[in-house]
Amino acid sequence: MKRRAFLAAGCAGCAAIGLARAQGTWEMPARFARPEAASEEGGLWSLMDREETKLRRSPFALRDAKLKAYVQDVACRLAGAHCADVRVHLVRTPLFNASMAPNGMMQVWTGLMLRVDNEAQLAAVLGHEIGHYLQRHSVERLRDAKSRSAFGQFIGMFGLVGAIGQVGMLAGMFAYGREHEREADAIGVALMRKAGYDAAEASRVWQNLRLEQKERPDGGYANPLFATHPPAEERMQALAELAQAAPGGVANETAWREHVKPYLHDWLAEEVKRGQHEESIALFTRQLARSPEAAEYLWARGEVLRLRAVGGDLDLALADYLNAVSAGGAPAETHRGLGFIYRARGNAAEAKASFQRYLEAAPQAPDFAMIKSYLEELRT
Amino acid sequence: MKPMRIAFLAALLASCASVSKIESGAQNIGERMQVTLEGAWNHVSVPGMGPAQVWTMEGLPVDQLLVYAGIKNDELVHAPQSGGARKDFAFRSGMQPDEIVAMFEGTLTRDGSQFRLLKLEPAAFGGEKGFRFEYSIVRRRDNAVLSGVGFGAVSKGELFALLYHAPRLAFFPRHQPRVEQIARSAKLKT
Repeated sequence: MKRRAFLAAGCAGCAAIGLARAQGTWEMPARFARPEAASEEGGLWSLMDREETKLRRSPFALRDAKLKAYVQDVACRLAGAHCADVRVHLVRTPLFNASMAPNGMMQVWTGLMLRVDNEAQLAAVLGHEIGHYLQRHSVERLRDAKSRSAFGQFIGMFGLVGAIGQVGMLAGMFAYGREHEREADAIGVALMRKAGYDAAEASRVWQNLRLEQKERPDGGYANPLFATHPPAEERMQALAELAQAAPGGVANETAWREHVKPYLHDWLAEEVKRGQHEESIALFTRQLARSPEAAEYLWARGEVLRLRAVGGDLDLALADYLNAVSAGGAPAETHRGLGFIYRARGNAAEAKASFQRYLEAAPQAPDFAMIKSYLEELRT
Repeated sequence: MKPMRIAFLAALLASCASVSKIESGAQNIGERMQVTLEGAWNHVSVPGMGPAQVWTMEGLPVDQLLVYAGIKNDELVHAPQSGGARKDFAFRSGMQPDEIVAMFEGTLTRDGSQFRLLKLEPAAFGGEKGFRFEYSIVRRRDNAVLSGVGFGAVSKGELFALLYHAPRLAFFPRHQPRVEQIARSAKLKT
């Protein structure tokens, strides 16, 4: 009971600190000097420097100067005086993840960018990671990991290209302890507010993720976010309360959508290929309710339904494809999807017309020869 | 303790792995597939590895030939390992070539690797109407860029397929002709 009472008192203390931070009494620390190379922390920085060099050369790095500068600018607005120490790297991986290493290397994965609805939601995640950085949680975690012979697991927290043993939807984001997560949440909200963002969007990030996670085969409860760490509902509630203390601010949804638009199709295709059909359908359905890019999301949901093909999925896929065509701007693959369904149903005329449209729209498609063979088969 | 348990299990699995030589000549794989080899291969067996036979010329970190012979409707094409946290990839007998390739793509990218389909075309396999595809993989754990080639056909509702991938610069071009020869030699018993 003594231990429980101690922990409860500690948690209450953390909550109080968090609230103080959110209310603006928290002060950002001065920029960190590089630690001595021979020190424990200096060794960690050197390791992260080497990993950052690898990341810069990695085929997983998304090298788009405009998008990178935009995300870097969001990080800088949050990081204030620490801006010069934060280096954003965009990583092509269709999972929701961001991380910040103690040397200032920040990774933002494309699966995260696909899932946030606006700039403020991106800022919520980046602010959370910057919160860990400013409080130097990783150094505490390093000491803890060393004491538990869990160094490999610790390194995995930073989502390093060569160090990921188990990749999950939220791979490295929630590897810190419960108190550290609460503290980073509170600092993230404070940074959002200071940068002029609507802090209410922070809670919505987790609400949206929860919608997807609930569709997983295990209901999402094997995920650390919804299991060992602050329970999702508690966390969403705490973030919402912090935001209510000072409402207002911008979400910048239009600017966000404009910046990610050139990549939307590729990111949707990568999400479809994950094969996690139920999560993807939940994501696309949610986005369809608010995104102006209806044709892209309708195509993507149609693809997932066609590949799942359970119960009435093919009827739903057909409806999505047709609605994508009606909406205008449907990707070429929409016609291929229509062709597959018509062909499977023996509707030769519609199948031929759809495959023909696909081949005309995508003459360089890798499956051109396959689709052409279907066309020839349908003509005989 | 969890990392220790994982390390222990990995060591245990490694100790259970066995490598045997597959000689030149006709080889039966499963009940219905036969291929003819013009050179020897290494067959790596690890308990619980999944339904595909894993062959290699250079050793598993370098190259692998996955041999699927008679995968039945609703059967997984990988070892069951998700523990319910992620959806598995299973073959359905009504799958079209693009769906089968998408299934293999999902399987090969479960560790976060990237897969890119370069070509998919009709091609006979095992005397059946089948397909051939080319792909590239960027392996997550070491950033290695691999080239790959696959062949497949569905016969009597069962999937038969070969997938070979290896680092693109030296190993893939070195062994691709052998793999193409194996694919051409495949016969499926009706």
